Amino acid sequence: MLSPYRVIDLTDERGVLAGQMLADLGADVIQVEPPTGSTGRGVAPFFADRPDESIYWAAYTRGKRGTTCNLEDDRGRDLLFRLLETADFLIESSDVGRMSELELDYQTLRDRFPKLIYTSISAFGQSGPKSQYVGSDLAIWAAGTPLLMSGDDDRAPVRISQPQAWGHASGDAAGGSMLALHARHQTGHGQHVDVSAQVSAAQATLAQVLAHQLGAGDPERYGGGVKIRGQAIRGTADVADGYIVLLMGPGPAVGHFANHAVKWLVEIGAAEPELLDENFVTYADRVATGQADPALFPRIQDIMREAVATRTKQEMLDISIEYDLLLAPVLDIVDLGNSPQLEHRGFWQEIEHADGRRVTYPGPPLNILVDGQQQGICRRPPPELGQHNDAVYGELGLSTGEISRLRSEGAI
Amino acid sequence: MTLPDGVGPLAGVKVLDLSWIVAGPTVGRAMADYGATVIRVESPTRIDTARVVGPFHGDEPGVEHSGLYGNVNAGKWGLTLDLRVPDAQEIFRRLAVWADIVCESFTAGVLARWQLDYSHLRELKPELIMLSSTLLGQNGPYNQVSGFGSQGAGMAGIQDLAGWPDRAPAGPFGPYTDYPAPRFALTALLAALDHRNRTGEGVFIDQAQAEGSMQLLAPALIDYKNGGPALQRRGNDDPQMCPHGVYPCLVPEGRTEAWVAIAVATDDQWATLAELLGAERSMSLEQRREHQKEIDAAITSWAAGMSGADIEETLQRTGISAHRLATTEDAANDPQLAHRNHFRRLPHSLHGETVVEGPRYILSDTPIQPARPAPQYGEHNLQILNGVLGRSDSEIEELAASGALS
Repeated sequence: MLSPYRVIDLTDERGVLAGQMLADLGADVIQVEPPTGSTGRGVAPFFADRPDESIYWAAYTRGKRGTTCNLEDDRGRDLLFRLLETADFLIESSDVGRMSELELDYQTLRDRFPKLIYTSISAFGQSGPKSQYVGSDLAIWAAGTPLLMSGDDDRAPVRISQPQAWGHASGDAAGGSMLALHARHQTGHGQHVDVSAQVSAAQATLAQVLAHQLGAGDPERYGGGVKIRGQAIRGTADVADGYIVLLMGPGPAVGHFANHAVKWLVEIGAAEPELLDENFVTYADRVATGQADPALFPRIQDIMREAVATRTKQEMLDISIEYDLLLAPVLDIVDLGNSPQLEHRGFWQEIEHADGRRVTYPGPPLNILVDGQQQGICRRPPPELGQHNDAVYGELGLSTGEISRLRSEGAI
Repeated sequence: MTLPDGVGPLAGVKVLDLSWIVAGPTVGRAMADYGATVIRVESPTRIDTARVVGPFHGDEPGVEHSGLYGNVNAGKWGLTLDLRVPDAQEIFRRLAVWADIVCESFTAGVLARWQLDYSHLRELKPELIMLSSTLLGQNGPYNQVSGFGSQGAGMAGIQDLAGWPDRAPAGPFGPYTDYPAPRFALTALLAALDHRNRTGEGVFIDQAQAEGSMQLLAPALIDYKNGGPALQRRGNDDPQMCPHGVYPCLVPEGRTEAWVAIAVATDDQWATLAELLGAERSMSLEQRREHQKEIDAAITSWAAGMSGADIEETLQRTGISAHRLATTEDAANDPQLAHRNHFRRLPHSLHGETVVEGPRYILSDTPIQPARPAPQYGEHNLQILNGVLGRSDSEIEELAASGALS
């Protein structure tokens, strides 16, 4: 869908997903690295059989072409300018101020490239009192407020073990860039898109980031669940081979799922058939007016926990579908790797690297039909350092001789 | 009176938003922010869970009090329809023809039963763009799994990866798959709109919200699928940073706890921190990880007498990544969020004023302010049924009597 558009992707590990999202939608994305390679090539994990090759970098440069360009060198900068003549988007994620030092910031480039959409991804934003702060996944998660809400109540708050913050910011950068493209259709001009990972992280709070301003209490962290307004709600339950996410509650939004759970519990003989007469959609209201027993629902929760404890994750998933319950298995990485659902949807993609290895990737993030025709992800393998220098710079009209001179002079 | 066009790059773009809770509505909110005319369809008999989840205005639960619902639906027009009623289905069909984009998040197959799924709507309008967003996607053996992003977090591998290695997973906060999914959906819808404008071709997007979140686990998934180890939850440990953790600090009055996050990425940063701690300055990452317990203890005793704000400022001044674990009050007072005008106050007919988040990107030449707060139930029924579809007052009364609008 985005095949008419070209993206010059100057990001490092902090913004590298954004360009990939556009590449998967058809854009021609050129990852431009310093001649020594991006710092992203040093981010863990590394391939089991290639301890020097970053899986992180491969994961998010799949689908892009790759060149090198020394932005501190005048000839390298000239080359970048020639690339930008052909580009619709520039995306960067360097330390705030670095692009100005290089005289490659938006203010400097806008007159020369008035149609260019220039997207910056940073920890806190391009200006403001914290713009010079050093970002990290953990600090961003802390600043955006989700970190304090996550974890067990008797230990320190805890993050997700695969860092997430820059991924959220990159996703917003892709969306913001597309909005700027639509604006360009209207005005003829590009503009600067400024993404703050702190703001992106605030999205991961279910709008609780607004709690204080609305006069509501802060949620408190509670392992596998949440404490809100003094009430602790466990969100997970133990099963025979691990855990499930289990949400049971009365009320108009979820009470019918509790009714379904009771139906299952009665059928397996774990609960008495009289309970089928209870309606948990209206239960809470009737408890409030003294017409229902407040001890009933907690008792059913206990029965439910006992019933699931002897069953496996897979059994509970099947039961959940059959009875329409609000529960799901807690899948680990091994489970995902062997998931029949992902297999059926063609989630895993084997892609041949430049060196001939066949590597399995996740994706696509979406299953898209254009005019009824199935679209795939961009199956281009992650580029080796400078792999497409000849092709990309050749397209700009440089001869092989000029390209090798630039290479020997350290410009690319 | 028809619906007035919005202001912005998407002015004139019409969106029929039948999605609910968070993952889908967040997409429509972004389009409404930038000028699209977004009609949010919902049924008060099957309450949108977002309406009964807080944070609530004044901490008072109520279907018109939810800050969550308000945050993901600001700027939209509200129509109530009970799609089980045939007359409501007909209204929906007419609005789908009116729309450029339809968003929905029913369990796979539900719309098909009413002949309102993409294959039927496409016959009415070949150039339609449609997003169908569910936890696990439209097809596959588990496409009938319904539920919230909390179940999605379980099935996307996120739940298992948040917590301590010696314990059950603590999980992330809330329905995690609702957070990454809208980014992928929005980007694709805007690409589809661009494509349709150029070619006239329609687009269908089948989103599995879990698969969106799994993009953020891609390194771990690739590692395991290609002969490497399976990542397991590891607390706040990081293989390439040390120290790296969340440390207790001075508790301000009126609170029961306070924490600060500190992440040391380089040997130089460590040397600076070591000076503050009175520790050995010259230590490699490997050495620091070997002595992680002692280092964590030294930081904990250093931090005990200082506020999170002081620690954050002290360390950031010397180039070390640190931030207090912000409460929502901290967020309300955060000068950086204020600088970005992140919190937007909107007049509200019930609450006087409400507050929502601004967009998560600042477009230098396209500033926005949501045009109105999220709709109350049926708030714009008349405007939509009469203004957009030309139904007369008596026809609208008949619709209401048939139950189509409840």
